[in-house]
Amino acid sequence: MEWLMWFSKPENTKPLALIIFFVTFIGIVIYVYGSNKRSAKLESYRDIPFLDDQPGDQDGTKDKQ
Amino acid sequence: MAVTSYSGAEQYNFDIVKKFAVMSLVWAVVGMFVGVYIASELAWPFLNFDSPYFSFGRFRPVHTTSVIFGFGGSALFATSYYVVQRTCQTRLISDGMASFTFWGWMAIIVLADISYVLGYTQAREYAEMEWPIDILIEVVWVTYLILFVGTIMRRKQPHIYVANWFYLAFILATALLHTFNNLAMPIDLFSMKSYSLFSGTQDAMVQWWYGHNAVGFFLTAAFLGMMYYFVPKQAGRPIYSYRLSIVHFWALSFMYMWVGAHHLHWTALPDWTSSLAAAFSILLLMPSWGGMINGIMTLSGAWDKLRTDPVMRFMIVALSFYGMSTFEGPMMSLKEVNALSHYTDWTVGHVHSGALGWVAMISFGSLYHMMPKLWDTKIYSNKLVEVHFWLATIGIVLYIVAMWISGITQGLMWRAFDEFGNLQYSFVESVVAMMPFYAMRAIGGMFFLAGTMLMTYNMFMTIRQGKRESAALDARLAAKMAHA
Amino acid sequence: MNFNFKHEWIETNIGLMSVLTMLAISVGGLVEIAPLFFIDETIEKVEGVRPYTPLEQRGRDIYTREGCYTCHSQMIRPFRDEKLRYGHYSLAAESQYDHPFQWGSKRTGPDLARVGGKYSNEWHVQHLVAPRSMVPESVMPNYPWLLSTPLDISDTTNRMKALRKVGVPYSLSQPEYDANVKQFGETVARQLHIPDAQENLVEQANFGNYDGDPSGISEMDALVAYLQVLGTMVDFSKYTDDAFVEYR
Repeated sequence: MEWLMWFSKPENTKPLALIIFFVTFIGIVIYVYGSNKRSAKLESYRDIPFLDDQPGDQDGTKDKQ
Repeated sequence: MAVTSYSGAEQYNFDIVKKFAVMSLVWAVVGMFVGVYIASELAWPFLNFDSPYFSFGRFRPVHTTSVIFGFGGSALFATSYYVVQRTCQTRLISDGMASFTFWGWMAIIVLADISYVLGYTQAREYAEMEWPIDILIEVVWVTYLILFVGTIMRRKQPHIYVANWFYLAFILATALLHTFNNLAMPIDLFSMKSYSLFSGTQDAMVQWWYGHNAVGFFLTAAFLGMMYYFVPKQAGRPIYSYRLSIVHFWALSFMYMWVGAHHLHWTALPDWTSSLAAAFSILLLMPSWGGMINGIMTLSGAWDKLRTDPVMRFMIVALSFYGMSTFEGPMMSLKEVNALSHYTDWTVGHVHSGALGWVAMISFGSLYHMMPKLWDTKIYSNKLVEVHFWLATIGIVLYIVAMWISGITQGLMWRAFDEFGNLQYSFVESVVAMMPFYAMRAIGGMFFLAGTMLMTYNMFMTIRQGKRESAALDARLAAKMAHA
Repeated sequence: MNFNFKHEWIETNIGLMSVLTMLAISVGGLVEIAPLFFIDETIEKVEGVRPYTPLEQRGRDIYTREGCYTCHSQMIRPFRDEKLRYGHYSLAAESQYDHPFQWGSKRTGPDLARVGGKYSNEWHVQHLVAPRSMVPESVMPNYPWLLSTPLDISDTTNRMKALRKVGVPYSLSQPEYDANVKQFGETVARQLHIPDAQENLVEQANFGNYDGDPSGISEMDALVAYLQVLGTMVDFSKYTDDAFVEYR
């Protein structure tokens, strides 16, 4: 159980926490931007707000399309 | 998606959205009026009128509570109920619970404002409500959480749209913050007075963990939820990048909770805490700007809308102020800058560039988009929207410029030494130097308030117009039925 | 990411999303707040800091009621100018019995952490009733009602009992009283004894006569008694300049 004491020192846990959080962040970024296929799929969810468009919504908002 | 009725009145519970939307304008006028009043008290102290009820110390929480929880809170309830229903394409799970959150929330703001004036306060900034009101908030908030999550569970759309994530984070975080910050021991079951569970340094840390995250989740994350729905809708084009919004969401949720202690630089709080908070404050610039870019770039390819659509302009200016204050904030969290800026009007100016520039402007934009749809009509006067925009913008600029000058002047005067190493100015000399800027700030506030009143009139007329139109429609239908 | 993680799992599962969001927002607070309750270096060990007497505590209640914290801080920072203007920088120990803390965030008026003993009682009374009669340029509101409102002392013991429950060492029993004698000395320990609270309050108010009117106890008596004790508990001449650095 000696090795557990290693975690009780802030000098050790601070860089460790930093590494964990940073790796998680990089992981998220790689996941999100890494593959073209996945990117295309994720971007398809952009349209959710427009899925329940009602006749009245067309006025003035979609005039450019 | 097949839609049965034009207004969606059967498909969705729009009644609750209407109620909150109207009350958010009412609280905006009340809260901003009190704001202008207390700003004037600082410039012209006779306005305190020797009355306990209107003295600055008791009146200031009335301002903060009315604008943050009355105006901001109602706008969030309204838009979150609207967005969650429309992006999940389902009705709120319970009309009764929705109604309870409305009447409960209104009771909370009214009771809080009255109790401050009468001298009941926890003396914790932005959480001054005494314990009975805190319990009521807890009950209403849990109801809100159940209603919101329950509605998402019943959704017809498999995906939960990103706006709802931000609303969810806001509801969860507010529940967490509110619960821990308000732990207190009442002196008696029948007394409003209580003492906080924590004391001194620990209490300071808990309070600013709450205080800054009220900004982070109540005044930022939730309004980002608003942004993620209403900016694309008003622009008529989807959000710039859905992938960016994923990174934005997780980074913002994780990092915000660390930064509260930057309010306690150079105090008796152990140094490591506020330094860690400052480090995260700097990092927070990235997700903040990511969100801003995501919002503004939504308009790319349709920049002309900025000229033609005043509602869009509210939203884009809101995002610009969001970008500006999320740059200013990390800068002020640097220990050296904070040594000058802390305790001065600079902080007040910073808060208002966020609160007026970001929170209020994005709410105005969203309400201008949503309210005509709710009453099934068009905005009564686009000209008035235009005027409102300019009044609000001029008001903000006057306000924050006044506070920058006065804040930096204060900071420099307090630390100025003469040639013999003595303090160059007495404290009251710095007070005298503030006077013109306090007056300028009050005038800036009046501009902003005038704009809000104009909007309230415009929306009142819009609602009346919507009601008339639907009455006329009903009459025509009835006539047809009679003839048939 | 070999196990084929999909963000869609989170996006289509409100339970998972709630849990992960909760996790993300809990870490920061836990890391920064929890240690403050356990690490010894949070609060300095200094002599002299004691809980407030019943009268001072009632004065503090009025200080919070009137929202004084909206314009006055009680936290002096370790800068040369603040030392000259206000005195030694504030210690964590000095607010350890403050429920709630009143460090403040804005100095529309000056810091009050060490205002105790700087001005006479008469000055405070006159200044609170009509600030501009003492400092013509002041923007502080007048507080005339403090002088005319009698202090409500009926719930003094209830207030102290509540404070005792949140950790202030007011004594109810003989052993608690004895412990206080040991820690604070007999004179102070007597003031902290809850059964005698009302008596002690009346005695201190009559003896101190803070509001200059011996006929009764006003809210002004209590508030001035509180202001006059602020920052006076620690005798800094007993400590060297760097005695508190390790706690920062």
